Amino acid sequence: MDYLTLLQTLNACHGPSGDETDLAETIRTLAEPYADACILDTMGNLIVHKKGSGPRVMFAAHMDSIGLIVTHIDEKGYLSFGKLGGLHPENLLHTPVRFKNGRRGVVSLRGDIAWKDMTLNDLYLDIGAKDEGEARSMVEIGDTAVCDMPVYELGTRLAGPYMDNRISCAAMLEALSRIKEHTSDLYFVFTVQEELGLRGSKPATFSIDPQYGIAVDVTLADELDVKGKGSSVLGGGAAIKVMDSSVICHPEVVKILENLALESNITCQRDIIVGGGTDAGSIHVSRTGVLTGGISVPCRYMHSPVEMVEAADVSAVAKLIVAFAEKTL
Amino acid sequence: MDIVTSLTDLCVAFGPSGRENGDSLTFPGKGASVLELAMSQMRALRTAEGVPFFQTVGTDRFGNLIGTHLCGKPNAKRVVLDAHLDEVGLVITGAEEGFLTFRSVGGIDPRMLPDREITLLTDPPTFGLVAVLPPHVQKPGAADNSIPLADLRIDAGLTQAEAEQLVGTFAVPRGAVTSLLNDTVSGKAMDDRAGFLTLLLCAELLRDEALDVDLYVMGSSREETGGEGALVGAFALEPHCFVAVDVTHARTPDGPKEETFPAGSGAIVGIGPNIARWMSDRFIAKAEESQIPWLPEVMAGNTGTNAWRVQTAREGIATAVLSLPLKYMHSPVETLNLGDLEQCAKLLAAFVKDLDREGGEFLAD
Amino acid sequence: MLIDTVKTLCALPGVSSHEDAVRDYIREEIAPYAHRIRVDAMGNLIAEKKGRLPGRKTLMLAAHMDEVGLMIHTITDEGYLKFSTVGGIDRRVLIGKRVLVGSKAISGVIGLKAYHLTSAEEEKKVPKLKEFYIDIGAKDGEDAKAWVRPGDIAVFDSDVLTFGNGFLKAKAIDDRIGCAVMVELMKRDLPMDCTFVFTVQEEVGTRGAFGAAFSVKPDIALVLEGTTAADLPSMPAHQRVCAPGKGPVVPYMDGGTVYDRGLFRLLRSLAKEHEIPWQTKEYVSGGTDAGAIQRSRDGVRVAAISAAVRYLHTPSSVASIADFDHILRLAELFIAAVANMEE
Repeated sequence: MDYLTLLQTLNACHGPSGDETDLAETIRTLAEPYADACILDTMGNLIVHKKGSGPRVMFAAHMDSIGLIVTHIDEKGYLSFGKLGGLHPENLLHTPVRFKNGRRGVVSLRGDIAWKDMTLNDLYLDIGAKDEGEARSMVEIGDTAVCDMPVYELGTRLAGPYMDNRISCAAMLEALSRIKEHTSDLYFVFTVQEELGLRGSKPATFSIDPQYGIAVDVTLADELDVKGKGSSVLGGGAAIKVMDSSVICHPEVVKILENLALESNITCQRDIIVGGGTDAGSIHVSRTGVLTGGISVPCRYMHSPVEMVEAADVSAVAKLIVAFAEKTL
Repeated sequence: MDIVTSLTDLCVAFGPSGRENGDSLTFPGKGASVLELAMSQMRALRTAEGVPFFQTVGTDRFGNLIGTHLCGKPNAKRVVLDAHLDEVGLVITGAEEGFLTFRSVGGIDPRMLPDREITLLTDPPTFGLVAVLPPHVQKPGAADNSIPLADLRIDAGLTQAEAEQLVGTFAVPRGAVTSLLNDTVSGKAMDDRAGFLTLLLCAELLRDEALDVDLYVMGSSREETGGEGALVGAFALEPHCFVAVDVTHARTPDGPKEETFPAGSGAIVGIGPNIARWMSDRFIAKAEESQIPWLPEVMAGNTGTNAWRVQTAREGIATAVLSLPLKYMHSPVETLNLGDLEQCAKLLAAFVKDLDREGGEFLAD
Repeated sequence: MLIDTVKTLCALPGVSSHEDAVRDYIREEIAPYAHRIRVDAMGNLIAEKKGRLPGRKTLMLAAHMDEVGLMIHTITDEGYLKFSTVGGIDRRVLIGKRVLVGSKAISGVIGLKAYHLTSAEEEKKVPKLKEFYIDIGAKDGEDAKAWVRPGDIAVFDSDVLTFGNGFLKAKAIDDRIGCAVMVELMKRDLPMDCTFVFTVQEEVGTRGAFGAAFSVKPDIALVLEGTTAADLPSMPAHQRVCAPGKGPVVPYMDGGTVYDRGLFRLLRSLAKEHEIPWQTKEYVSGGTDAGAIQRSRDGVRVAAISAAVRYLHTPSSVASIADFDHILRLAELFIAAVANMEE
């Protein structure tokens, strides 16, 4: 599977939390050949349905990315911005960004603040406008911007912005194209606004009312820069979620996933992280409860412009999604 | 009911949040899980004629234990009495030179962890100990600082390869229940297994009464991680009213007087926006009438119990909170006065008896 | 069997200055094998055992019977017990632990203000020892006084068990392992006369050993101890001292003694010759009765063999069972070597 091209395609779209329509359209086009129906719900979640007579199984991967939203334009033409999701100033400083309409900008720090003290409020966006008037002709307050940096390969690894969660969307799309026989009634949901607090998946789950829910996301790898916060490593295979801050996965689902991985020779590892949540958090408490698990891609440098994953792990995730989708439950 | 034996059995059983039912990857035999034990205690409750009090006893997919006692009237109102069965615990996240790294499940008190014995929930269960450095190699003054949980490691006497196999295993503190003076008991998971026993004792007090409501007694899961069990349980049961029986802080020498209740105070009745006023009024009236010792606990916001999320579920549900005073909450030596447990059970029974007839107009259809 | 003796001894209460139960048990065990037994003014148990030959040297073996614990000093009006530590204890390991108080062994728990009532700032700091308290469930001070008194000892309520790859968990492995080794040696035929001293009050400053050494007047003394292992991942290699499972610890130096170099080399060569695994202390820390013995009268040549013990001075310490038999063997070889000494 050519993840590089697929990621480039997905990242070329605009899809920060709350502004995902552009991306939803592209994913819809890619998913349509394998679906019985594609629906966009009220919040903008893309629901891809493969009909079956068995129990309802929902896979969810959030398509939104973190990003910036313009809050203020000053007399000099500089922009102030708010955060869409978890932004950290040190990951934003001096990175290039782009708007939906193609305009570009760079993030910088107000001069009188020391590096070690900087907060998001001390950063501003420079879009190359000479004054307020020109700025207002280029962008509007409420416009959103995303990181404008490329995805590239390093050996068998991939690095770039928004592996969280475009790499999972890629894995879901790959899985969609590979599913053959299935009895379960399958719903592949590309959710919105996960980064703002799992907002899209809640109503999507309520409307689908599945028996089983699987969140497909990235997970924190236990590496040099964040030791002790997670149990998975790059190259360890599909990370089968046991627990994170938003959910304790149902032991039955964890067992099914582990057995499937064993039977199908899919490399896997058990995933527990100390901080961080996923759509599984809102899925599992819908209505009378959903049997919920997670399959994740281990990822380094989370929420930076150079998030890094291992291609073999992504492939393992896609295979495991297929296995679960094809299993008679 | 032999309260001390039943309470000891409950507290000693395993059941960290998310793994109350023993139905897990690596878990001791079913009989050792709190859910199985609580289920057998529910099934054992009989009326004077020897008929089981609970017509059905079962679990839902979230690990909630639910016993039903239908009154036989058509369209009877549904009353849910809830206490959570889960306890705070740990889960293993990795291995370092044979020692295990871990994170907490629910809010375990990290100050209780140095040199703490734990039980790893493997099949069969195995022993572990939270490692500490000896005083001899520490800098002067080191003992003045609490050790952050992330710096602690568990020693289970394993090789690195053996330790790596345990990632994802849950663990609970190892602890017996100790009897202290004056009907006081001390052990892990009194929060909220003592609350659950209160529900059973209440059922025992009601067993020969004709009720006018359908009674659902729930041993809920996952309260310590956010109340998910009671939330989905209530969604399914659609109660007309819901009482969370939980614990509150008993006074200790180092605690604030304003926020704590002396052990032996009896039943603590919650008052505040999270509690339907007709329900707290009824608890207080019944306590006065039956001369049950009680004190008010005024909570102006989140009560920190299952009542918080249940109140806004579905179409909205009338909720109340009744609490047992407990010292050293979330430690393995939670300490409780058994007299308070008995008074709470009495008050709960008085609340339920004749509820439809007396409280009927407030129970929304 | 050595391991059974260790387990039995660890379970007995014996906080410094209250070693009675331990002393009584040991006395009964060794009586059939001793030529002479006496208890001195401090409470040390001193047993002389005849060997095949008297030997040219006076050889003393020493292990301490006492363990660390707590002593009640005040009963509050609300019925809580305030205490001091007997011996060096990191007070963080006391929080939320169970104890047995006084001669009636009244159950108590060491409480602490609930987590939820503690601010983030407060949580980072550990309360001072004088703020700690034991809860025995008393209604008030008067009630408490019916059960306990100031001066009562509180011992850790911790059971004995084995776990993992051959580990023992118990309180007081330091120094019931030393006592157990000496009890086993007493049951064997020895090549020379030996004096076995079971000392008191080591944990509060090696205090029993001063008088014992003065009265026994040894030329050579072998101390059998438990010593601190700090082999945790958080410790850099050069500060780990020693580790359970790597064999008896033969120290060249600790915080209280520079051991006799000749005896150190002797022990080392005996271990190598007889293929007994051994290790030394790779960091200078701790102390033993040797500190009191070495400087007694005109001086004594001292050596030590110790068990590496994790979590020393806590209710739950850990040692490797495989180490115990190696310690016993090495001690036996040492006695034989001393019996053969010319000078």
